Amino acid sequence: MASVKLTKVKKVYDNKVVAVHDFDLDIKDKEFVVFVGPSGCGKSTTLRMIAGLEDISDGTVEIDGVVVNDLQPKDRGIAMVFQNYALYPHMTVYDNIAFSLRLQKVPEDVIYEKVTNAAEILGITDYLLRKPRALSGGQRQRVAIGRAMVRDSKVFLMDEPLSNLDAKLRNQMRAEIILLRQKLDTTFIYVTHDQTEAMTLGDRIVIMKDGYIMQVGTPTEVFEMPKNLFVAEFIGAPKMNIMTTELVKEGGKYYVTPFGSKIVVDGEKGEMLAKAGAESGEILLGVRPEHIVLSKTKENAIRCTLEVNEMMGSELHLHVFTEDGTRLIVRIPTIDLTPEDRASLVRGKELYISFEGKVMHFFDKETQKNLLVPQD
Amino acid sequence: MKRYSDLEFLRLSKGQKFLYKLIAFFASIPRAVANFFIGIGRFFKKLGVGIATELADVVSTFAKGDWKTKLSYVVMGFGSIARGQVLRGLLFLIFELVFIFYMVTSGGYWMSMLPSLGKIGPHEEYNAILDTHYPVYGDNSFKILLYGVLTIFFIIAFIYTWRLNVKQNKIAQEYEKAGRKLKSGADDLRSLVDEQFYKTLLALPLLGIVIFTVMPIVFMILVAFTNYDGAHNGYSNQLFTWVGLENFRTMFSWDVGGVNYSATFGEVLTWTLIWAFFATFTNYFLGIFVAMMINKKGIKLKKMWRTILILTIAIPQFISLLYVSRMFSINGLVNGALQALHITSTPIDFWGTPKLARIMVIVINIWIGIPYLMLIATGILMNIPADLYESTRIDGANAWQQFSKITLPYMLFITGPYLLTSFTGNMNNFNVIYLLTGGKPTNIAASGAAGSVGYTDLLITWLFKITTGSDTKYYLASVVGIMVFVVVSVITLIVYGLLPSVKNEEDFQ
Amino acid sequence: MNETIEKRHMGLRASRALSNTIIYILLIIMSVIWLIPFVCIVLQSFRCESTWQVGYVIPQQWGFDNYVRLWQTNFPRWYLNTFIIALVVAALQTIIVLCMSYTLSRFRFRARAGLMRFMLILGMFPGMLAMIILYRVLDDLGLTGNNSLPGLILVYVASSGMGYYVSKGFFDTISKSLDEAARIDGATRAQVLTKIILPLSKPIVIYTILTGFMGPWGDFVFARYVSQLKPLGMNVAVGLQSWLATDTMTFNNYTLFCAGGVVVALPVALLFMFLQKYYVEGVTGGAVKG
Repeated sequence: MASVKLTKVKKVYDNKVVAVHDFDLDIKDKEFVVFVGPSGCGKSTTLRMIAGLEDISDGTVEIDGVVVNDLQPKDRGIAMVFQNYALYPHMTVYDNIAFSLRLQKVPEDVIYEKVTNAAEILGITDYLLRKPRALSGGQRQRVAIGRAMVRDSKVFLMDEPLSNLDAKLRNQMRAEIILLRQKLDTTFIYVTHDQTEAMTLGDRIVIMKDGYIMQVGTPTEVFEMPKNLFVAEFIGAPKMNIMTTELVKEGGKYYVTPFGSKIVVDGEKGEMLAKAGAESGEILLGVRPEHIVLSKTKENAIRCTLEVNEMMGSELHLHVFTEDGTRLIVRIPTIDLTPEDRASLVRGKELYISFEGKVMHFFDKETQKNLLVPQD
Repeated sequence: MKRYSDLEFLRLSKGQKFLYKLIAFFASIPRAVANFFIGIGRFFKKLGVGIATELADVVSTFAKGDWKTKLSYVVMGFGSIARGQVLRGLLFLIFELVFIFYMVTSGGYWMSMLPSLGKIGPHEEYNAILDTHYPVYGDNSFKILLYGVLTIFFIIAFIYTWRLNVKQNKIAQEYEKAGRKLKSGADDLRSLVDEQFYKTLLALPLLGIVIFTVMPIVFMILVAFTNYDGAHNGYSNQLFTWVGLENFRTMFSWDVGGVNYSATFGEVLTWTLIWAFFATFTNYFLGIFVAMMINKKGIKLKKMWRTILILTIAIPQFISLLYVSRMFSINGLVNGALQALHITSTPIDFWGTPKLARIMVIVINIWIGIPYLMLIATGILMNIPADLYESTRIDGANAWQQFSKITLPYMLFITGPYLLTSFTGNMNNFNVIYLLTGGKPTNIAASGAAGSVGYTDLLITWLFKITTGSDTKYYLASVVGIMVFVVVSVITLIVYGLLPSVKNEEDFQ
Repeated sequence: MNETIEKRHMGLRASRALSNTIIYILLIIMSVIWLIPFVCIVLQSFRCESTWQVGYVIPQQWGFDNYVRLWQTNFPRWYLNTFIIALVVAALQTIIVLCMSYTLSRFRFRARAGLMRFMLILGMFPGMLAMIILYRVLDDLGLTGNNSLPGLILVYVASSGMGYYVSKGFFDTISKSLDEAARIDGATRAQVLTKIILPLSKPIVIYTILTGFMGPWGDFVFARYVSQLKPLGMNVAVGLQSWLATDTMTFNNYTLFCAGGVVVALPVALLFMFLQKYYVEGVTGGAVKG
C-alpha cells in the first residue's frame, strides 16, 4: 500500500545512450499503472529503476514518500514478476515461493500458511512439490506471481509477464491478473508492449517512445483523445487510418477534404476546433477503422478499390486503397452485411466509404500533435 | 586495388572472389597494425588526460574543502573519523602509519640502492686476531631489485589510497551539505557482502595475481636491463647492475664474441612459428574430421571410440610423452618392431636428424591434440541447426559441399578466438617439446649461444634451458621472454582485428 | 522405371555401407594407434628379465618385480607429494577461480573491462619467466628443494585467478534475471552466489575441481624448478623423468618408469573417465565462448 513518485528520472548508459528522459509520474496508492510502448522505448528500464535493478542516473524515485535511490532492491518493499519467470530451477515450486520468506527468517509454519494460501489462490497447489522444469508456461507464470505475492510488498512490479505465453493462455492470464489485483489490493506497475493488455488492465496508461512519455491517461482518454499521432496509431487495432488532407474554415464551419470529397466537421468536434482556433491548412486526419462505413451513395464519399478482405469472424477487415494510392483499413461488423454483400467483396471491387465528423482526429502536420488536446 | 561493394562482390567468379578476399586480407594488415599503434597512442592520451583530471580534482577539493578535509591531506582518514566514519578513517590512518614506518625502516634504503643495485660486493676482510682472510658479504643486488620493485608497488598503492582518502572527503562533504546520511562502518561491512561483494570476491585472487604474476613479470622485465646471470648472482659471487639496452643489442647483433645471436634467435623463432602453425591446424582439421566420422549417422559404438581417444587427455602428458619419446628411440620399440618385421635393417634415428625430429614432434602432437579438438568439434557440430543441413540437402548439396559450405564456416566462425589462443598456446607449448626431444638434436651452428639450442627448441624451451644448467644467463632469458610477449601480443592484436567472430561480450549473454 | 529407382536405391545404400566401412576401418586403426603406447607401457611394467629398454613388447619373464621395487625408491614419497598438492590445489584453485569468474560475469564495476584486458595481456608473458624470481623468493623462505610442497602449492594457486574464462562462460549462460529475482526476494549478492548460482553450477564446479586436481600430476616445469631435483621434494612427473634421464648410466630404471607410470596414470585416468561428462561440457563451452 504505497504511492510511487518519479521525479525527473533519467537513465544514461555507459555508452552515453539516454534510455529514459526526465520521467515524471505520480502513482497513487492502489493504482494499476501500465507502461506501454514499442521495444526500446525505455519502459522496462524505468521499471527496473523503480525496482533497484538499474542505477538511476538522475532524478529521484520515491516509494511511500521515501527516496529509494540508494536502497537495495530488497529494501524497497517491492515484488516483481519477470518476463521469463526467473524461477529458481533447482528448487521446487514450494521452495521458490518460500525463498524470500526464508531469507527473512520467517518461521516455517508461517511460511507454510502463506505458501499454501498463495498456491490456493493461484490454483497451483497440486504442483507445489514439482520443479519448475516440469511445469507448463502458464503454471510457471503462476508460480512467479505466487513468489511475488507472499512478499506482502507495497508495490507489485510486472515486467511483460504474459509475453512468453501463447495467445489463448495470455487472454486467460490477463483475466486472472485482474482478479488477482482485486484480491491483493496493492499498487501495481505493469510493463507491456501489447496495447490490448494496457487497455484492459490499467487504471492509467503511460505510453512511451524513445525514452519520452507520450501520454499519460485512462484507457478512455488515450483512446478517444490521443495527444499525438504516435499514441493515436499505437492504441487501437487495427491502427488508426491517417490521411493527409486540407482543413478548410468556411463561414464559421470546418470542412475536411480527403481524396476530393468534402466532409463537414459538425457537432462537438467542430466546436472544439473553433475553440482551439484552428486555421485552414494542411493537416493529418485520423479515423479509426471501425468508424468508417461503406457508403450506399457515391455522393460525398471516397472512391476506393478493395485489395484484401480479411474475415475475422465477427467482423471484416477490408484493406482498400484510394485513387492516389493511400491505403486504408475499414472494419465492418459481419452482421451488418447480407451474405450477398459479403460474397461480392472480392479483390478489385470498387467501394465507396465515408465517415462522420465526430469520429475525426486532427493532427498538426509538422508537430504531429492533436489539435484538440491541450499540450503542456 | 579496386574496391567492390558487398553487392558487386557477388558478381565475381569464384577465383576472383578468392583473389579479392586474399588481397583484401593482406591489404587490411597495415591498417590493423596501424590501429594497434593508434590504440597505444590513445591509451597514453587517455592516461594523461586521466591523471590531469585527477590532479585538478585534488586541487579543487583542497580549495573547496573545510578544515577537516584539508587536514586529511596530511593525516589520512582524519576527515572520515571527524565525520563519524570511524572504521574507514582508522583504516586510512593505519595504512598511512604502516607506509611511513616501512619507508623509514627499509623502503627508503631499497629505493636509494635501486639506481646502483648495490655498491659493496662480497670481498675478503682480514681478521687480525685469527690472522685469516674471511669472506664478507655486502649488498644483495637481487634483494635490492626485488624489494625496490615491491616498494614502488607500495608507493603506487599509497598514492592510490591517498587519492581515495581525498575523494572520500569530497563525497562526505557533499553529503553533509545535502543533509544526507553518511555510511557507517556497519554499513560498509554489510555492503561488502552485497553491492560491493565483488571487492570481497576479488581481493584474494587479485592479491595472488599481483604478487605471483605481476610483480615477477615486472622484476624480470627489469632483469633484461641488467647483467644478472650465474656469474653475477648479486650476492655470493658478484653484484649485478644496470647495463641499459646491452642485452637487446646482444640478442640482435650478428657477432658477439663469435656467436651470432640474432641468427639463432631468428632460427628458433621461425621454427616456433612453423611449429605453432602445424600443431594448431593439423589438430584442428583432423579433430573435426574425426569428430565427424564418429558422429556420422549409422556409426555404432560412438561412446567407445571417444573414450579410447580421450585416453591421451586422461593420462598425464608427461607419462605418455616420455614413453612415446622412448618408443621411437634407437633401441626402442618402434625400431625393434621395424627390424623384427624386416622393414628396415638398421634402426632409424627418429630424433637424430632435424627434419625427421621436427616432423615427429608434429605427428606425436597430433596424437595428443586430436582428442581435445574432437570433443570441442563434437559439441559444436551438435549445435549446428539441423535444418541448415536439411535445406542444403533439398538444394542439392553433396556431402563435401555440406562440409565446406556449412560445417567448416560455422566451425571457423565460432572457434575463431579459440584458434588464436591455441596458436599462441602452442608457441609456448613447453611440455610436448621438452618431454619428447628436450630440444634435440643440437644445433651445432648455434651452440655458441647460451643454453645449447637444438633444432626442435621453441623460444620457451630455449628460455628454460638458459635459466637452468651450468651457464645460466637470466638477463638473456628475460630478453627472450620479452620477445615471446611481443610476438604473441602482436599476433593476437592483429588477428583480433581481422576476426569476424570477435563479438561484443554482452551479445553472447 | 521402377527398376532404376530400385538400382539407385541399392547404389545409395551400397555407397553408404562402403563409407561406413571405411570409417570403421579408420576408427579401428586410430584406436590401435591410441592404445598401443598404453598397452606397451603396461606390458613392459611387468617385465622382469631386464630393466633396460628393449626392442620387444611381450616380457619373457612376467612378474611384479618393478612394482615391488617402486616401494623401495622415493616413489611413494613423490606420489604422496603430488597427491597432497593436487588435493589442496584443487580446493583452493576452485575457490579462487569461482570468485573471479562469478564476479566478472555478474558485476559491472568500473575497472572490470580494464581488469580483463590487463589479465589478457599478462597471460601473454611466458609464465616461466616468473619462475626465476619465484624460485629465489621461495628459496629465501626455505620452501624449495626437499620442502617444495608449500612452495609449489603457492605457485600453482596464486595465479589461478587468471584462468577464469571457462567458468565465466558458464556463469554467463545462467540468466541474470535469476539474480535479480533473488535480490528482490531479499538476498544479498553473497546469498545470490551461495543459494542460487552455486547450486546451479555443479558441472562447472566439478570441471574446475577436476582440472585443478589433474594439473599438478602433469606439471613438470615448476615442479622441477622448485624441487631442484631434491629426492624428497619432487612430484611424480619430475621423479619419473629423472629415472629416464639417467638412462645411459649404469643405474637403469626403464621398466621402473613404466611401472610408476601405470601407478600414476591408473587412478587419474579412472577419475577422469568417471567425470568425463563434466570435462567435455567445460572444454566445449570454453572453446565456444572463446
